[in-house]
Amino acid sequence: MSLPSSPEPAELAQLLSRVALGDRQAFARLYERTAGLMLGIVLRIDRNRATAEDILQEVYVKVWRSAGSFDARMSQPVTWLGSIARHSAIDSLRRRQAQPSTVSTSVQGSDGDERDLLQDFVANEPGPAEALAQTHEARALRDCLRVLSGPQSQAVSLAFYQGLSYAEVASHLSQPLGTVKSWVRRGLQALKGCLEGNAGRA
Amino acid sequence: MDYSRPELADRLAAEYALGTLAGPAKRRFEALLPAHPALRDAVAAWQVRLQPLSQQIAPVTPSPQVWQRLQARLFADAAPASASAPRDAPWWQRLALWQGLSGLALAGVVGLGVLLAQPQPTQPPVVVVLAANADAGPGAVPASFVVSLNADGRSLVLKPVNAPALQATQAFELWAVPKDGAPRSLGLVSGSQGATVLRTGLLSGTAAFAVSLEPAGGSPTGAPTGPIVSLGKLQI
Repeated sequence: MSLPSSPEPAELAQLLSRVALGDRQAFARLYERTAGLMLGIVLRIDRNRATAEDILQEVYVKVWRSAGSFDARMSQPVTWLGSIARHSAIDSLRRRQAQPSTVSTSVQGSDGDERDLLQDFVANEPGPAEALAQTHEARALRDCLRVLSGPQSQAVSLAFYQGLSYAEVASHLSQPLGTVKSWVRRGLQALKGCLEGNAGRA
Repeated sequence: MDYSRPELADRLAAEYALGTLAGPAKRRFEALLPAHPALRDAVAAWQVRLQPLSQQIAPVTPSPQVWQRLQARLFADAAPASASAPRDAPWWQRLALWQGLSGLALAGVVGLGVLLAQPQPTQPPVVVVLAANADAGPGAVPASFVVSLNADGRSLVLKPVNAPALQATQAFELWAVPKDGAPRSLGLVSGSQGATVLRTGLLSGTAAFAVSLEPAGGSPTGAPTGPIVSLGKLQI
């Protein structure tokens, strides 16, 4: 299956509107164009390939069922799809973590060290500041992430990429829960203010 | 919580979009979304703001089975159509047909999901008749009981069917008898009224239930000391 790296928003929006009418061919095209990206997003939150593919299946069941609620004026198709993927992955992970017999694999490295995942994240994954690429929106967000303090940016990124709850971010960063909540909330507000300031100047 | 306060609504929308909103707060928030356009707009705006973070995530090609399972699950009524299947099949145009069928399939999926999510209270109880033991020997009194067990093995109701009145120095004691090993006492029971026993694992390894005649206060040793007056095998 070919996986175009940057699906055209207009084409995807059209496909979504046809999916909302029950068009299976459009659904197949939509899946073909976006499933790889969605699996990438799910795998960032749930690193188990088998469960990630189960989650991917759930994602497209939801897409098939609720394509009608996509509003092209409010967001782009990839944003809408990506939100479904992220929430499905986070919900699935938290459901499994809520089961007492299940050990969370996402918070431990191969050597069982709790901080290992974070070090791995910092060392091997390009941080938001470096990796954001071409688009205007991405540049704006990258610039605004720089405005945040280091801990604020780190806490927001951990929550976004790993799907971590406040408590998990707090445990990763070895910080009190209240501190982490305040970092994330202030970070988000600073991000919003910064992005809106940029949009005002543009 | 007052969701009409704009700054609170925006904060919750941000936390929802980021994914840190969890537990009951998240469920409450999701329940409110359909009826609150302003809240939905706030969430969409935050998703747009944060979406560029996803741009650095590399696509990973899913295995073909995902699409096959998806097809089977959503469109079980038809042969799997590959993504490259020919277009313009005449029946294909009948969207109403597919909407109906997909609706049915989804109803099935949702129904199955609801069934799977429920803890199985619908299994019928297990009933065991404890018949009077003819081989109980001298000193025994004929007695019979009926035991009704929850299928989850966590509770049991015992009712006497035909049990004589006992002297004050005697008592009936109920036992769960495993295939191998010592019987487990489930406590003293009355010959004149029902009793409820709440234990875990009432069904695990249990081969039979038995009632023995014991001194008042129950067996002093933890094992049946008197004659077994009533016995019923567990058959599932």
